[in-house]
Amino acid sequence: MSDVVIKTEDLVHVYPHGGTRALDGVNLEINKGDVVSIIGQNGSGKTTLVRHFNGLLRPTSGKVYLMGEDTQQKNIADLSRQCGYVFQNPNHQIFCSTVRDELLVAPKNFKFTPEQAKQRLDAVVELMGIGNILDKHPMTLDYTTKKVITIASVLIFNPEVLILDEPTGGLDEVGRRMLSKVIQLVHSEGHTVIIISHDMDYVAENSSRVVMMAKAHILSDSTPDKIFLDADLCKLAQIEPPQISSLDMAISGRQSNVCLSVEDFVKRYAR
Amino acid sequence: MSKPIIELKNYSYRYDNTDEIMLKNLTLSINEGEFIGVVGCNKAGKSTLCKCLVGIQPFVTGGAWDGEIIIDGKSMNETKGEGVSEIIGIVFQDAESQFTQPTVEDEMAFAMCNFGFDRETIRERILYAAKACGLEDLLGRSPFRLSGGQQQRLAVGCILALQPRVLILDESTSQLDPVGRDDIFRLVGELNKQGKTVIMVDHNIEKIAECVDKVLVLHDGNLVAFDDPHKVFADKERMNSHSVRLPQVTDAAIALRDQLDIAADLPVSLEEAVPVFQKLGQEVV
Repeated sequence: MSDVVIKTEDLVHVYPHGGTRALDGVNLEINKGDVVSIIGQNGSGKTTLVRHFNGLLRPTSGKVYLMGEDTQQKNIADLSRQCGYVFQNPNHQIFCSTVRDELLVAPKNFKFTPEQAKQRLDAVVELMGIGNILDKHPMTLDYTTKKVITIASVLIFNPEVLILDEPTGGLDEVGRRMLSKVIQLVHSEGHTVIIISHDMDYVAENSSRVVMMAKAHILSDSTPDKIFLDADLCKLAQIEPPQISSLDMAISGRQSNVCLSVEDFVKRYAR
Repeated sequence: MSKPIIELKNYSYRYDNTDEIMLKNLTLSINEGEFIGVVGCNKAGKSTLCKCLVGIQPFVTGGAWDGEIIIDGKSMNETKGEGVSEIIGIVFQDAESQFTQPTVEDEMAFAMCNFGFDRETIRERILYAAKACGLEDLLGRSPFRLSGGQQQRLAVGCILALQPRVLILDESTSQLDPVGRDDIFRLVGELNKQGKTVIMVDHNIEKIAECVDKVLVLHDGNLVAFDDPHKVFADKERMNSHSVRLPQVTDAAIALRDQLDIAADLPVSLEEAVPVFQKLGQEVV
């Protein structure tokens, strides 16, 4: 299929020191334009899996294809140009002394012309509303704003696939709303978005597909409402559905089409 | 009625080298044994307040203040923060960055050694804290080889070993999976039942609403609300205007209020919501 952007075949990853088998035969296909959330408890293999997509980790055995090409044949620079990765902790990603320099790291490394770099800078600055902080030191900014900077510094090189590792951790309500807007926009431009998250409210409202992992395997690959309906599965992966989904299930005994947001719930029950 | 353990009187604070006032004329009182949830968007002043309560600001890192904070009857304007760490313990967001020792046991002993506790007390307290935090089997493990949830429990354990009367947790669950997060809420909930005062800063509105006696809402350094969660979250417009969302069940109850039999308070937790919405569920299905 031409629109498969990421494909793994029997992917196994064993960490060298201590021999932890973090992925044990994972098969997954992600299509162009998908917004996929990968969920599961700490240590289930989520981050290990997505770090194979941009070459930060290499398979112990099995294959990973990005845009149809075997990632073994490509270096990290090529892979990360197509597959942008926003780390969980912005403090681990930021190292320049102004926001502007931070945003321009990737365009420089990917050898954008000055005109291209300026054009992309202007575009992300407008998208994220960060024109007023370009000359500030990133480390003087609050956590949410730092997170915004790290997302902007990846969006600036317009990768085909955007990976967000735990994007809502430490974000306040304003940051969460902004992030939802950015994901919708990136998605509407045809990009693929992969979100690793523990935040089920966010997953329910922002993704059309959910991959649930536990103990180095994919337990389920489905829509959010189907995942939350399966109480045994949720228990196994130690996932708690959004409060509004739990309420919907508790009062209706519903077997399909669980409400995923307050808006859904109100629409369904309003007379 | 228990007595106040923390009182703020017209307290304001600003950091050095800035004109921006981070806490603005706060007056509030926290009674011993209360469980307080602190919410608000970033830069609301939540973390600044936590650090002021233990005297890190202004007495260690500087800054200017006005008004006073009284801890257990003593004004910090007099004590300059001395002795506060024996009453209040604080756990920060990034647990890992506060660890320095090779084993969990040594990590727990570290603060007690600095306080000059005798050997026997240290041993007893480690056992007490390890049991309370479910770390008995991990005492010999390196703190850096624990899971995120275990690290946060250890950070709480280190503070608990000092047996403070007040525990402050500043966004201690934000990096944790749902199980790790619930572990921390359960642990501090149990400690609260045993009489500890708990002040918890957290963005998880549903857990806060479910667990606490009172919610403190801050915005831009101002006190927006400080009351029972049922009262605080009943005012949706006010909360939303300060970028604080409601628990999902409360939000739904407000939207469907005309169809529900709500005699007194709106539900703020799933447990409270199920009986309130039960009739609607039967009508629709």
